[in-house]
Amino acid sequence: MMILVGILITLSGFVISVLSLALNSNAARLGVVLLGLAVSLFGIIGVLNRAYLKNAIWKKG
Amino acid sequence: MKIVTKSLLTLCFGALCCLAPLSFAQTPAAAPTTAPKAITDADVAGAPVPSADARSKGDPDGSLTGTASDIAVTDTKKGATIGDLVNQVGQNKIAINFVWTLVAGFLVMFMQAGFAIVETGLCRAKNANHTMMMNFMVYGVGMLAYWLIGFAIQMGGVGAVANLGGTPPLNAEHIITLFGKPFGIFGQNGLFLVHRGTYDVSVMVLFLFQMVFMDTTTTIVTGSCCERWKYAAFIISTFFLGAFTYPLFANWAWGGGWLANLGTNFGLGKGYCDFAGSGVVHSVGGITALAVAMMLGPRIGKYERSGKSNAILAHDIVIVLTGCFILAFGWFGFNPGSTLGASGNGSLRIGSIAVNTMLAGMSGSFAAMLYMWVRYNKPDASMSGNGLLAGLVAITAPSGFVNPVASVIIGLIAGVLVCISVEFVDRVLKVDDPVGAISVHGANGLWGVISIGLFADGKSNYGGSWNGVAGSVTGLFYGDNGGQLIAQLLGVATLVGFVFTMSFVFNLFVDWMVGQRVSAKSELEGLDLPEMGALGYPEFELKAEM
Repeated sequence: MMILVGILITLSGFVISVLSLALNSNAARLGVVLLGLAVSLFGIIGVLNRAYLKNAIWKKG
Repeated sequence: MKIVTKSLLTLCFGALCCLAPLSFAQTPAAAPTTAPKAITDADVAGAPVPSADARSKGDPDGSLTGTASDIAVTDTKKGATIGDLVNQVGQNKIAINFVWTLVAGFLVMFMQAGFAIVETGLCRAKNANHTMMMNFMVYGVGMLAYWLIGFAIQMGGVGAVANLGGTPPLNAEHIITLFGKPFGIFGQNGLFLVHRGTYDVSVMVLFLFQMVFMDTTTTIVTGSCCERWKYAAFIISTFFLGAFTYPLFANWAWGGGWLANLGTNFGLGKGYCDFAGSGVVHSVGGITALAVAMMLGPRIGKYERSGKSNAILAHDIVIVLTGCFILAFGWFGFNPGSTLGASGNGSLRIGSIAVNTMLAGMSGSFAAMLYMWVRYNKPDASMSGNGLLAGLVAITAPSGFVNPVASVIIGLIAGVLVCISVEFVDRVLKVDDPVGAISVHGANGLWGVISIGLFADGKSNYGGSWNGVAGSVTGLFYGDNGGQLIAQLLGVATLVGFVFTMSFVFNLFVDWMVGQRVSAKSELEGLDLPEMGALGYPEFELKAEM
């Protein structure tokens, strides 16, 4: 379940970044692109990787 | 009255003085002693050629070889014409560009040998055959996938590649409309290299050069996943990467896709720029490596129960550093070759691109060595090698747009970044990456992409425009309004958000289908016998881990 959530968050970061193209100001575009990037990184590092670490081979001893 | 007269005289004198140079400037130039004579077909046909008798005696100094007699003539009765001469000039230009691009492609192909021995040297001896075979077969499996469909997706709609004579059959890009603008999504011509007229000399050159780039991407993944990746899973994963993931992003960046057109459609600089593939080749490989390595989990013994990371030592540092040198040599095909020619459209920048490449490699290895020396009291050999590769990866995208000083700075940052990133991936993410490919190619590929938005100096000129936008690629530090940087960051967001997801989802499917990871028993024994049926070093006495 967490893996599915992680995938969706990661992909939604990309969608947010693309939506920046609907804006006109470069400053606003920059802000939205960075926001999208941060969301994708959170999806990978904060959700997906954490889900795999929960059952990591080295935790089982 | 006297004063008025004096003033008028002074004004007249001043006016004369001002007009004098003008009149000198308008003096007609001396007529040429002889009027220019128009060249005629008769002049061309009458050009002196060495006699058959003279040629039969041999040509030790080369003065009789390569003369007017070597120009291809359309009508032998009429002899050589001006039309024949002009055609020969055009063919010479394209021939130079073909040979340049092909030789550069051959150099990039040889990088496979460098990757193979770098990765194998960094593994343990008990996995040597398995690691070498993965690196060997990315060539076959990746190329098969790319020939079947990958090339068509990537380049099927690229349009005219002027340096290679036009590539006219590659003219069908699938386009959707978003925000009222056309978004190129994938190419449609070129399946099996015969589809819709793509059995064409220019297309063949382009295919060879692009194929070896794709192969570099697939070989990056094997480095992060070695010593625990099931061979069957590797084959399927590599096929998918070569057929779909790589070509799709490459289309968006190089094949006329939406990222390349961010400049024409949204006024973001010259659109997403990636001269030779920090993003397209290295980040796609590094990010896919992260997805698969995360899924595979670390090797047995890499982490203790407390989470402490253990170093698993390389078995042959000699071949690791030899491999790094082979890669650095091959990179002279990677970056300068990406002009796709040595004649026309600004291609003479190949010297500058080659120098930028070697400078960034130098500064990357130097920075990594110093970082490790200061931090761990020893100049670590494998990290010095990774520093060299990190510098080369980072300069790959900006190599055609920056000056030598920027190249050194980009390489220095890459050398430090690779060390920090390796520590972060190992200790914080706890993702086991035996060769550091996620950091070398993933992190530094992204850095290379971003660096264009900062350091591009606006001095390059590849035919007056880039990605269809007139002018030269210029970064924030050289007066751009930030549009170029935003285009680059959109590329980064696409790599992290889209390419990662695509790679992850497909490899999840592979995991469900055949399983990504070998059994613990095979892993402890070493993968050479269980997976490949033969040891890499049969005369070694290998000890299985307990």
